[in-house]
Amino acid sequence: MKKFLAGLSAVVLGAAVLSGCSGGGNNTDTDNGAAGGGNTGKKVKLTAIMTKHPLTQEFAKMKWLQEAEERAGVEIEWQEVTADWDQKKGTLLASGDIPDLIVGVNSITDADFSQFPGLFQDMTELIKEYGPNVQAMFDAKPETKVIATQLDGKIYGLPKYQRYWPETTTRQYINQQWLDKLGLEMPTTWDELYDVLKAFKDQDANGNGDLNDEIPMDFAPTGTVAFGAFMPTVLLGSEGITLTDNSGLGYFVEDGQVKNFFTDERYKKLVEFLNKCFSAGLINPEVFTQDYTKYQAVARGNGETAAVGFTWGWEVTDRVGNALAPQYTSMSPLKVSADSTVQNSWSYDYNSLNYGVNTVQMSAASKHKEAAMKFINELYDPEVSMQVLFGSLGTNIGDNGDGTFSILAPQDPAMDPGTWKWTSSWADNGAMYIADSLKLTLGTDMQSVGKQTEPLKAALDSIDKDNDVLPSMFIKYSAQDNNTMSLNNTGMMSLALSKWSQWITKGGIDSEWDGYVKNIEKTGVSKNIEIIQKYYDDYKSKQ
Amino acid sequence: MIFPAIVVIFIFNYIPMYGIQLAFRDYDFSKGLTGGAWRGLFYFRQFFESYQFMDLMKNTVAISLATVILSFPAPIILALLINQVRWKRAKKTLQTTVYLPHFISIVVMVGLLNVLLSPNSGVIGHLLTSLGLGDVNLLGSTRTFVPVYVLSEIWQHCGWNSIIYLAALSTVDPQLYDSAKIDGASRWQTIKHVDIPALIPTIIILFVLSMGSVLSTGFEKVFLMQNALNLPVSEVIATYVYKIGIISNQFSYSAAIGLFNTVINFIFLYAMNRIARKSSDISLW
Repeated sequence: MKKFLAGLSAVVLGAAVLSGCSGGGNNTDTDNGAAGGGNTGKKVKLTAIMTKHPLTQEFAKMKWLQEAEERAGVEIEWQEVTADWDQKKGTLLASGDIPDLIVGVNSITDADFSQFPGLFQDMTELIKEYGPNVQAMFDAKPETKVIATQLDGKIYGLPKYQRYWPETTTRQYINQQWLDKLGLEMPTTWDELYDVLKAFKDQDANGNGDLNDEIPMDFAPTGTVAFGAFMPTVLLGSEGITLTDNSGLGYFVEDGQVKNFFTDERYKKLVEFLNKCFSAGLINPEVFTQDYTKYQAVARGNGETAAVGFTWGWEVTDRVGNALAPQYTSMSPLKVSADSTVQNSWSYDYNSLNYGVNTVQMSAASKHKEAAMKFINELYDPEVSMQVLFGSLGTNIGDNGDGTFSILAPQDPAMDPGTWKWTSSWADNGAMYIADSLKLTLGTDMQSVGKQTEPLKAALDSIDKDNDVLPSMFIKYSAQDNNTMSLNNTGMMSLALSKWSQWITKGGIDSEWDGYVKNIEKTGVSKNIEIIQKYYDDYKSKQ
Repeated sequence: MIFPAIVVIFIFNYIPMYGIQLAFRDYDFSKGLTGGAWRGLFYFRQFFESYQFMDLMKNTVAISLATVILSFPAPIILALLINQVRWKRAKKTLQTTVYLPHFISIVVMVGLLNVLLSPNSGVIGHLLTSLGLGDVNLLGSTRTFVPVYVLSEIWQHCGWNSIIYLAALSTVDPQLYDSAKIDGASRWQTIKHVDIPALIPTIIILFVLSMGSVLSTGFEKVFLMQNALNLPVSEVIATYVYKIGIISNQFSYSAAIGLFNTVINFIFLYAMNRIARKSSDISLW
């Protein structure tokens, strides 16, 4: 019995020890321990994590990646993460035992760098020595160096620049076929929009005999954390508020002043308008409870009859499917009313669409920093970057032989180009530098995005990029300020988002507004505005 | 024989307690879990003074109390009913049927709720409309969140929780039933005077135990059911800790909130145990 107990407690203790220290890690047993064994025929083994899109295929199938590893003289053991990264990350970093490389846009945040000092490698010197392509990006696009440099002047994460993306995430669509059928003019103001939506609802706009299956307006679900793209907050542009990168937490800049629209009278006006629409049954009743998948499915209807009249999205085929896309047209921003003299604005997302922070990081404990940097350098080669974004040469990109390239149509004709891109390669999640000198003909999807942005062009061009845009991408906050702001923002968003959805569905903004503004103040929003303003002014003074 | 159990409890439940001090310190990665600067009750104060504190407490208590009070009697009643079924095979089938939902994962469960209760396309949504109850969006209303949460909880776990009561009922001496019959007791009287007294000790112990988790609402389900419309009642301590601690890395702050939560639970457990001991001599300690 005694023996049995001793044995058992040994097992228990053993298990405890095992679970105490996380398994897996840098057991890279290479034959050449010395760094710099780059291309002596022996490959250096590295470990890496990449946070990829759920659609993305296994890395072993990516020709460009195999070639890039080959050229850098490394063999990388990839761990491909598609879900729950936020939960996994905390434990991974706190254990202090990270792989040689971590790839994926903002997979490691600036806050992580300050919270886990000494965990990540400062790459400044390595870039000078082994990263000519990265250096080339810094020289050609100095702002990428600004994005990469932390407050302490060190470079722990490298940015991406993808150049071809439009100035805004959100485009506005209306069903032209319905307008024509009912003999309606394209709406230009909020009131006209209201009348058009009312007609959509009352007059069987899709002509299938069912008076109740039209959803005049639909927008993306708000969630419980922050606003995102494809939401009616873009209509704040009609009142002269320029959102930046969707202004998920309500912060925007006006004439060099940082503000928050949650306590702005203009926001109140928008909510009142949306409540008027909702009360008249013009907005999908499930708009706050459906998830994004359902939002997309509803607009596709049964594939023959359109269901939604007016909505927002990235690109029309992505929003309503190939079959219904011809019925829709992209439209210009609306004025609040016919006599409004406000210059229309629109959400300006150029920075967050074309730049990304911290796309690749290196472990400070890595035994092969030189080899790891050589591999990173491969990624930033313009022609490799192009494949990081769109897929391998031959299958996804065609070489025209004269120094120019063009994106090929998907091999599976049923697949849209966007999905094809996400399936084939790291796409927007990767580390890349698409040089301005690269000559590349884009795929049909990106061309349509460009075309569908045209109606918004006047509004986007009118934006004063120096005084009305919040350059979040290029600002680094101290750890303390970051903590203060996230505490305050959590409280603020909880209140603001629940009120936003409640006022739209049930009304009551007029009587509750003053008390609500006081409460929003209590969450510490002024303190946050003060912090952001300080950093913004500092950024401006360096311009 | 109890020794291995003690070892396990000691290793996995007592040793990790040194981490509690994180709630009183700054988290400092380079100095380890216990190396940060001592801040005393700073993080607790930060929580008590935070704008959402009152709402979080109110919501957490409301959801937990509703769950405890409503879902506690359900398995007892179910066990008494199943116990009344005379036909062996039907009893077995019935038992299996009612405890199966327990094995549905929470994500699937919330998915089911979303499908069934959707006002546009859900079966239950349509049913309510046809009964003339109007367009209630059961998923997105502050008034219906708690009922939907609790009722689905009961539906899912009632059968599973009734197993322990059925086990207790199976130990009742058959002679008691026989003599009750001879005395001319009806079915209802048998339940009242034989079955229920047999269950009382089990009921009290389980109730005291359930008090120990009065503030621990199931994070997953609440989090998955959350949307902007029901946020005022569905933001509970657990979801707040997730948003603040995991998403924005405020480890000390979330440790403090978690510790506070545990202390409140312990006070409840202790109080309930005292009451049980004073009133019925049945208690945990």
